[in-house]
Parts: sequence; C-alpha cells; structure tokens
Amino acid sequence: MKRFIIVLFAILTINFLLPRLMPGDPFLTLSAEDGFTSVQYSEQEVQDLKEYYGLDKPIATQFIEYYANVLKGDFGRSIFYNESVNKILLRKLPWTIFIVLSSLLIGCIVGLSLGILSMINRNKNFDKVFYTLIITVSEIPSFLIGIAFLFIFAANLGWFPLSGGVSAFTEPSFSLAYIEDILSHAFLPIITMSIPSIGQFYILSRSSMITIISKDYMVTGKAKGLSKRRLNIFYILKNSLPPIISRVFLNIGHLFASSILVENVFAYPGIGTLMKESVLKRDYPMIQAIFLIIAMLVLLMNYLAEFINGKIDPRGSKYEKIQ
Amino acid sequence: MKRFSNLGRIAMVVLSINIIFAIISIFLPSSFYAEPCCDSFISPSLHHLLGSDDLGMDIFYQIVHGSLISLLIGISTAVISGIGGSLLGILAAYKGGKTDSIIMGVCDVLTALPHLPFIIVLSVFVGSGLNTIILVISLLSWVGPAKMIRAKVMMLKNEKFIVAAESYGGNFFYITFVHLLPQVFPMVSVSMFKIASHAIIAEASLSFLGLGDPTSKSWGLLLNHGISFPGIYFTDYWKWWITSPLIMLILLILALSFIARDFEMILNKKL
Repeated sequence: MKRFIIVLFAILTINFLLPRLMPGDPFLTLSAEDGFTSVQYSEQEVQDLKEYYGLDKPIATQFIEYYANVLKGDFGRSIFYNESVNKILLRKLPWTIFIVLSSLLIGCIVGLSLGILSMINRNKNFDKVFYTLIITVSEIPSFLIGIAFLFIFAANLGWFPLSGGVSAFTEPSFSLAYIEDILSHAFLPIITMSIPSIGQFYILSRSSMITIISKDYMVTGKAKGLSKRRLNIFYILKNSLPPIISRVFLNIGHLFASSILVENVFAYPGIGTLMKESVLKRDYPMIQAIFLIIAMLVLLMNYLAEFINGKIDPRGSKYEKIQ
Repeated sequence: MKRFSNLGRIAMVVLSINIIFAIISIFLPSSFYAEPCCDSFISPSLHHLLGSDDLGMDIFYQIVHGSLISLLIGISTAVISGIGGSLLGILAAYKGGKTDSIIMGVCDVLTALPHLPFIIVLSVFVGSGLNTIILVISLLSWVGPAKMIRAKVMMLKNEKFIVAAESYGGNFFYITFVHLLPQVFPMVSVSMFKIASHAIIAEASLSFLGLGDPTSKSWGLLLNHGISFPGIYFTDYWKWWITSPLIMLILLILALSFIARDFEMILNKKL
C-alpha cells in the first residue's frame, strides 16, 4: 500500500512538472493562424490569460494549487477547446471504456477457452503449431494489426466503416439502426485490441493448468475415483483462476494504454485521439488530465490485481510473511 | 547456430536482411531516399521496386533507410539500458541499504507508469529528435535488467570468490567489472534483445502518431505519411505504400523476439 502511495505521489509530481518544462507556448499556438507564427493576442491579453490559468504565480504556489484541484477532481479548462476538461473527458471516456471493456471480455473468454482446448490436446502435434501461432501473433503490437485490418476489412473489402465512432449526421437514439451503426464502427478496434489479450490469457491459462495437472493432489483426486467433471472444474479450473483474475485487472490497464494507438488508427473518438490532438495543440490541462487518468487507472488496476490475488490465493502472502 | 529452433533460424535471416539493408543505407547518398526520384504514385516496377509516394520519392529506398533507423534505435537503446540497468542493479544489490531502496523505488515508479503515454508526453517535453527518443526509451527500459541483475547479484555477493576479492582489498569497481559483470552478462544479453524490440515498437508508435522525429524517415513515419494521405483508402497505393513498412516492422519485431526466446532456452539449458 505504501508503495502505491509513493508511486501516486511521483506520478502527480511528474504530471505537474512535465508540461511546465515543455517547449512551445499554448497562447502562441492559440493566437496564431494555422501556419503563421504571427501573434494575434496582445501582450495584455496573453498576460490576462496567464493570470486566468494561474501561470504567472511562483511555481511552488502553482504546485500546491494543482494538488488541491486534483483532489477536488477539477482539471481546469482546456486551452484549445475552451471548455472544462472534465466535460470533454466525460464525452470521450465512454467511447474508450466501451472498446476497452469489450476487448477485455472477448480476450478473456476466447483466451481462456483456447487455453482449455489446448490443455486437453497438449501432447498432440497441432497443439504445438497452434501454440507457436498464438505466441507469434500476440507479439505483434496491436496498432500494426489494426492498420492491416483497416486496409483489408474496411478499405478493400468494405465490410466496416473506415473511421469514427458513429456515422455523420446520425442522431443518438435507442433504435436498432443506431446501435448497429455504433457496433459496426467499434468492431475493428475491439477485435484489434483483443488479439494481444487473447494471447496473454491463452498462454497464462494453458501454462497454469498444465502445472496443476502434474500436482500431487491431482493424483490423489484420481486415485479417490473422483469423476472427470469434478476434477476438471473443482481441481483444475478453480486452482488456475487466481492468476487469471489478477491478469484481468492488469489487462485493463494495458488496454487503456494501447487504446491510444488503436484509436488513432481508426480515428475512434475516445481519449486516445484526444491525447494526440492535445499534444499537437500543446493543451497543457488536457494532456495533464489524460495522462493522470491513464496513469492512475493503471496504478489502481495493478493494486487491485495484487490485492485480489492476495485475498483469493493466500498462499503467496503467507509465504512472504513467513520469510 | 545449431541449437537454434527453425523459427530462430528464420528470425536470424530476417535480422541479417535488415543488417544488410542498414549497411547499404549507410553508403547510400541521401538523395536516394530524401529527394524525389520520379513521378508521384508510380506502381512497383523493376526500376522502382516498391513504386513511389505522393512526393515522388522511391519507397524501396525509404524502406532500406528505415532498417538503419530501426536498428540504430534498437541497438543503442538496448546497449544504453542494458549497461545502465546492470550497473544500477549491481549497485543496488552490492551496496544495499539506502542506495538499494532508492534505486528500487525509482524502478517501482517507472514500472507503474504506463509507458506509451509517458513516452508521448516526455518526447514532447524533451523534443522529438532521434537521439532524445533513444534516451527517453532507455530511461524507461533499464528497469527490467536492473531488477534481474539485482536478484542475481544478491545471490552472488556472499559467494566465496567475492568475499575473497574483498578481503584482498578489491573495491566496488574492481569487483563489478572483473567478477560480477562477466557473470551476469548472458542474462543481460537476452533482455537486450527484448528491449531492442520494445524500443523499435515505441519509436514506430510515436512516429505513427506523428509525434516522432519528422526528419528521421523511419518506418513509423512512412506509415503515418501513407495513412494521412487523403486518397489512400480509395486507391491501390496502399498495397505497396502501407504494406511494405508494416510488414518490415512486424518481421523485425517478431525476429527479435524469436531470437530472444531461443537465447533464453539455450541459456536455461546451460544453467
């Protein structure tokens, strides 16, 4: 727990310092026309803006104010969009959460089922080929897979829309057509992001089940004459679950980070595309808020993974205490 | 070579092709990949193996040059973070106490940070030149080797030959370079392949987002350039313009990971 608080403090400090050390001036970008460096804001206006965002105060005061605001959940106003950061995030986050959770679900279910299939056929030749294939595919970074999918399935075959989260000029409604529209836009990003997850869950479940099969209690169970179903469910599946459940949480963190790239491949309107835009526009409060949210989410998921692992599988933590 | 698996051998061939490309690219005048050679959008032919892009630059030579950049990033990041990480790991384990807890604390923070968002933010803050990207990625990659080496040196430091060297007056540097580094080097070399592959992925991601070095002409930038061309989806150009850097990246990343895996197996058999 102490470790997580130190890391949280470090992330907040890095997050505060980085944008202030960045080159480039948001007011210059904001006040100049595209492609020109001429300044349209007067000295006085820039001064007023700096005062408004508190950038004219000493760095220590800014630091304390920053912490106070983050604790209140207030990330300030976006410099480029001229809107409250929270509002923009609330608009963009659901898209990202939707594709992250869907790809987690697919990754977990498909990966686990493939792992079980592979465990049952573990001595056969085709399983070795299958294992190598999955390991190979899961090594490829998801955004490269995404680019391939985009050009094969969307541009060439035309099965899916090319970009965006929903067709232009459609009104949000609960009609079947609208839901279909959203799903067809989200399909490729979700599949792209779930491929590395499938690989991870597959490898993890397969290897943990194979270790369990060779345990002594499996022999005892068989010798007692337990039914095959009982052995499979209560002995193998139950004992292999703890690492898989903690992997679920770790995976959420990974998926959020990888969604930055995948969203940009498909121009999906989540926080990934927002982050790229804000970096290009030097929108300090926006970058800070997005980085903070992703970093805290990853941290929280790591903590939950460790916590839950300790709760449902006390072997590890007890062993540590004895040592 | 005999102990490599079949996939490992294919990986070696892929890596060799990349090395040959990189060497050719060193001697290639920059006009081949940085200046227009001919009309825009010509299809692949014998003269221009992969055709040309919207500015009329030969794509094949850009791919060849991309090998050099990818290998440069992979190798330098791996060397910097491999050496830096092992030294810090040795320092942490050997000195113990406060040094150890500070180094391990930094490791904890760096592992907890989501790498890609952090690299994106950092690369903007320190600029996006090739050298700074290498440094930024190295800054995040030394944690793996450092933790591994620390665990190994923890075991080694009470061995009799180290204690003997200490009692003869060997100082920290002597013991590190003469006794510890040669012992841990095989482990580091495996993780260096992995770091190289991560570094290449990170640079490609950054360039793909358009946040990398705009002058470096890496594969990631080629992809970014191709995808942001307005008519790319409705024409056949993607078949060579997008596909070639995509396949080169995937092949190189896979090759590095296969070689790392084979090395790991050979190492485990030895131990």
